[in-house]
Amino acid sequence: MSDQLTTTTDVTLKIDGFEVTVPKGTLVIRAAEKLGIQIPRFCDHPLLAPAGACRQCLVDISINGRAFPKPQASCTIPVENGMEVKTQLTSTVADKAQKGIMELLLINHPLDCPVCDKGGECPLQNQAMSNGNGQSRYEGVKRTFEKPVAISSQVLLDRERCVLCARCTRFSEQIAGDPFITLNERGALQQVGIYEKEPFDSYYSGNTVQICPVGALTGATYRFRARPFDLVSNPSACEHCASGCAMRTDVRRGKTLRRLAGDDPTVNEEWNCDKGRWAFKYESARNRITTPYIRDESGVLREASWPEALSEAAKLLLNAKSAAVLMGGRATLEDAYGYSKFARIALQTNDIDFRARLNSNEEREFLANARPNATYKDIDDADHVVLISFEPEDESPIVFLRILKAVTKRKLAVTVISPIKSRGTEKLKANFISASAGFELKAIEKVDGLTNRSVILIGERALETEGLLSSVEQLATSKGAKLGWIPRRAGEVAALTAGAIGNLLPGLRPVQDAKARVDVQTVWGINQLPTKTGKSTDEILKDSDVILLGGVDANDISSSAKSQLSNKKIIAMDIRFGTSTEVAHVILPVASVVEKNGTFLDWQGKPRSFESAVESLNRSDVRILSMLADEMKRPINLPTVKAAANEIAQFDKWEKSTSNWHVSGTNTENLNLGPTEAILNSWRLLLDRGSLQEGEDNLAGTARKTIIGLNRTKAEKLNLVEGELVKISADSVSISAPLKIVETEENIVWVPRNSTGAQLVSKFSKPSGIKVSVSKA
Amino acid sequence: MSSANFTSEQITKMDQIIARYPRSRSAVMPLLHYVQSIFGYVTDEGIEFIGKKLDLATAEVNAVASFYTQYKRKPVGEYHIGICTNTLCAVMGGDAIYSALKDQIGSEHDGVSADGKVSLEHIECNAACDYAPVMMVNWEFYDNQTVESAKEFVEKARTGNPPAPTRGPKKLRTWKENSEVLAGFSDGLANEGISAGKASLLGLSKMKNSGNN
Ligand code: SF4
Ligand code: SF4
Ligand code: FES
Repeated sequence: MSDQLTTTTDVTLKIDGFEVTVPKGTLVIRAAEKLGIQIPRFCDHPLLAPAGACRQCLVDISINGRAFPKPQASCTIPVENGMEVKTQLTSTVADKAQKGIMELLLINHPLDCPVCDKGGECPLQNQAMSNGNGQSRYEGVKRTFEKPVAISSQVLLDRERCVLCARCTRFSEQIAGDPFITLNERGALQQVGIYEKEPFDSYYSGNTVQICPVGALTGATYRFRARPFDLVSNPSACEHCASGCAMRTDVRRGKTLRRLAGDDPTVNEEWNCDKGRWAFKYESARNRITTPYIRDESGVLREASWPEALSEAAKLLLNAKSAAVLMGGRATLEDAYGYSKFARIALQTNDIDFRARLNSNEEREFLANARPNATYKDIDDADHVVLISFEPEDESPIVFLRILKAVTKRKLAVTVISPIKSRGTEKLKANFISASAGFELKAIEKVDGLTNRSVILIGERALETEGLLSSVEQLATSKGAKLGWIPRRAGEVAALTAGAIGNLLPGLRPVQDAKARVDVQTVWGINQLPTKTGKSTDEILKDSDVILLGGVDANDISSSAKSQLSNKKIIAMDIRFGTSTEVAHVILPVASVVEKNGTFLDWQGKPRSFESAVESLNRSDVRILSMLADEMKRPINLPTVKAAANEIAQFDKWEKSTSNWHVSGTNTENLNLGPTEAILNSWRLLLDRGSLQEGEDNLAGTARKTIIGLNRTKAEKLNLVEGELVKISADSVSISAPLKIVETEENIVWVPRNSTGAQLVSKFSKPSGIKVSVSKA
Repeated sequence: MSSANFTSEQITKMDQIIARYPRSRSAVMPLLHYVQSIFGYVTDEGIEFIGKKLDLATAEVNAVASFYTQYKRKPVGEYHIGICTNTLCAVMGGDAIYSALKDQIGSEHDGVSADGKVSLEHIECNAACDYAPVMMVNWEFYDNQTVESAKEFVEKARTGNPPAPTRGPKKLRTWKENSEVLAGFSDGLANEGISAGKASLLGLSKMKNSGNN
């Protein structure tokens, strides 16, 4: 190797006679990989701290001619200059040692490969063949355990298959920060386990199933369902949140059987969360819409042919006084672009909003003008991360893992401004500033220690406090800190980029900017675009008479949205029957994520492209919009996802923004709380009543329970004890749940936003910031 | 931190244990011994309370408790007898002693006699091979045992008068009392009785006598 290329921090050694130069600190097993030499291993995992637990990777090592007295575990020994390593390929000692270890591992192994989920993709099977003796000398009775043990409702453990590699326990402790599975007992009885009364309560538990090198940990949903060699694997992207995990979807005969975390070091590394892994049954749910429908004069839905439904929809839209598009936050970039172009060309309006959820005008200005720029890499390098209206463990789990990694590895300072101290905040050992929705402006004044290496991450919920998005953007700008806006849903950043909002055209081009409009007109080959800024979701619900709904659940918007929609003519494009189809006059079925190609943009704006994993006759929204536009004789010319993608590529990002969009908020004036009152606060838990989690009972079994959270002083003043049923009420509606004492301020009551028995958006006037009364249920 | 299962005095003692370590989690092992000194074994309440005190998951505390055989997850007798059944002790009579006591006590490994006074386990080498076969009671040494001497011990222990250990304190302390010593609270008896027995010192005295020192 040439001298210029090596640095003082590089180390040169020989492995099986070949010289290799690697950075100091590299483990021997990694250096060997660099040469293409594979040393067998079980416990070694590049993202976990070395354990040397399984001893399968033994090699012969000498340093400057002095040999270690016995074979060494290559996964725990860092390289050194002058080191000479002989693997099983060149050393009979290493080879014999490995074969011996393998024979020992197999002594108590049941060898039930034919009924084991891992059979066919099992490192133990494979390496027993490549680095083991063909025959065991053991003739005794094998150790057995009762099987399987459910360590949670979704992870099952067959202890006799375990090779005690401690990958699962290290993952839980080092990566997820949930040390609820451990190696228990010792000697021949050593086994993985939980503390009996406490299940493996982690949002990331599925990763242990994926990294277990044998079939000891299996997922309850996939167990016994398939053989790996019957599956067709497709790289995919997760549709559940803006973290943007790379995934793999495994399909057999047109049906998803499992999803695994994909490997993307710049995003999810090799992990994902349990929602992304296990929430996919919605694709094949019974309430999937399989054909178009039209509502007849008597108000009954009847099946219709595509031409009939399209012509009916076209008629409704063309005859509208004021037609508009409302889109959920789950569309792909291409589909969102389809809606955006459809509104402008077919409906000749800017009345489109992808925010089929709580929203504000300040938020729309923020989205148009702020330029969030933070990335995962910035978190890796940050000196301080500040989380505002954002609970990453629930609202963007991989962002959480990334922050936790920096906290664990290098004691990253984290500040959290949130109503209550969550388990996530505790795991991040964060400086916690308690602030109720509506009162965060005071709290951000308390944040100090911000530099240009700091990262401020603000969640979608920030819009619920007037002035908060403005202040945070100004704070970030003044300190030179990186800013990240992290919506909950996977499609929001793409929808924004596609211009599926009333004040923006594709590529963040302002509707009000003539030059921006010309850019768009050029690409679209038209000479006029509507110039009036479009309506927002709330205005559309109030004023428009015909609305095209794309994947919208009225219950996500507000308690009155559904009744508002029922007074209008609705065309619903969706995958399943739900609130939108209940009020629809025309229903057009569309493809689910597995059935189509597309791209999500994660919160960093990084494209997450995927291709269809199952064959289906269902078509992507953009294709159907294009047919509908044709039917209206106002074509948008986007017959395929590919065509949309090509067109989107012609828009670069509009970097200019105005600086005078900020709204100055007032700290909500005193709400005049009575002694039995408190301010409602909430966010959505990762696992809850979210519609894409329907039908996943094993997953739902690990959801955190619905509670009503108060601080101790308040509970004592109200004479309430932890665990008893408590009621909160406002607007003559109420919900009740067991009381939990939480760390918060006295005037705050916290409830999960969309959990069983606590679906706040569709129940209360607002899911946060309102006054509620608290009492015994 | 208060608890329904522990008195404030006991909690103070736990705090003393924790205060000995720069990182509180290091206190997990003495705390487990301390819990044994209160209840005679490591109870669920003990594990859960230690977890809370040290900010560890109960699963982590349980992992430690289940790894070391000195921690018992179910009650043992006031006098917990360990018979070494490793090779040397076994051939010198350990196996015979173990099976005799099994019959006498009426229970197997880690089992307790009906009166709750004595319990039995077979243990691994205690580094006292020069006194084989060795019996340990509440971690005190009873050297060069025979079936008879061991049975006699059980008889007397059941009446509350166990013979004194061969080495160590003059009077045998109970399981709970010795657990408290293991938790790091001295009973002041460390220097009572002999520590190194004759057999251990034989080589040394031979060398001295030969004038080769
Ligand atoms: S269950 Fe699997 S991952 Fe966990 S220690 Fe056993 S073999 Fe390793
Ligand atoms: S973190 Fe988000 S993107 Fe990743 S698997 Fe979970 S829901 Fe999907
Ligand atoms: S892979 Fe090296 S000891 Fe397990």
